[in-house]
Amino acid sequence: MIRSDIQLDAKGLACPMPIVRTKKAMNDVAEGQVLEVQATDKGSTADLAAWAKTVGHQYIGTHEEGDVLYHYIRKCSQETNAAADKSFEQVISNEEITSRDGLILDVREAAEFAFGHVPGAKSIPLGELDGRLSELDKDQEIYVICRTGTRSDMAAHLLAENGFKKVYNVLPGMNNWNGELSKDF
Amino acid sequence: MANKVAIIASNGGLFDAYKVFNIATAAAASDKEVAIFFTFEGLNLIHKQGMHDLPMPAGKEHFAEGFTKAQVPSIPQLVEMAQELGVTFIACQMTMDVMGLTKEDFVSGIEVGGAVTFLEYAKDASPTLTF
Repeated sequence: MIRSDIQLDAKGLACPMPIVRTKKAMNDVAEGQVLEVQATDKGSTADLAAWAKTVGHQYIGTHEEGDVLYHYIRKCSQETNAAADKSFEQVISNEEITSRDGLILDVREAAEFAFGHVPGAKSIPLGELDGRLSELDKDQEIYVICRTGTRSDMAAHLLAENGFKKVYNVLPGMNNWNGELSKDF
Repeated sequence: MANKVAIIASNGGLFDAYKVFNIATAAAASDKEVAIFFTFEGLNLIHKQGMHDLPMPAGKEHFAEGFTKAQVPSIPQLVEMAQELGVTFIACQMTMDVMGLTKEDFVSGIEVGGAVTFLEYAKDASPTLTF
């Protein structure tokens, strides 16, 4: 079971209905949240990936279980697609984090994490970080990673404000990750 | 990137209707501006009565079962959905005159125009499709 914010049942529907329903359902999804689309139309995988690309959302992936396809799409607006300023000063590269001992903290949404993360990374979505600081160790180095470095930049600031000193923002992030990947299924 | 799709619907069969409305609704759902120009037999696709009973191509009637089994939406449903998604329907005035049809013979919310109306819309559309 992959976690998502809103679920849409488009099972049994033929093309173009899964797309039309997804488009409508997206209106109720908040920026940065993840929509799960359940479909049985086998063309929906290619269609939803293309649709997300066209309208600017992030297609996370599709997981097949029995006859049902579970598609995951994260809502992005045009503004957040533009490279936002990353102001956190302590940065570290993708390559460096695997050879160091600290904690890799992945602040992407649970579904993004499920579809591929650095082996051993800990998942705390950005929106939950504030309430889960007690799970982290202030004496340990923390390498904060997301897809492009924007959310991890915000997370790194939040950690620093809460007294974490050994915090690094990982750039460029999972988007350009060439190393090993773990999946949750 | 062009964000307009222009479609000419000039045939009046059930298969033609699906080709037109599937592409149109998919494009509209992808945040594109869509207009369909209905001309000649294509007018059947938005005719109040005609759209409920569009013919299958001769010899292909056995596909009716496939349509039901695949749970494909009906043409009137697709018409409604297309309009809900903001697809513009333009009925060809000349064809209407030839066939003795008025705006009232069609689903509500359509525009009536001539070839130039469509050409003006389609001049910066990509793609322009003909069915």
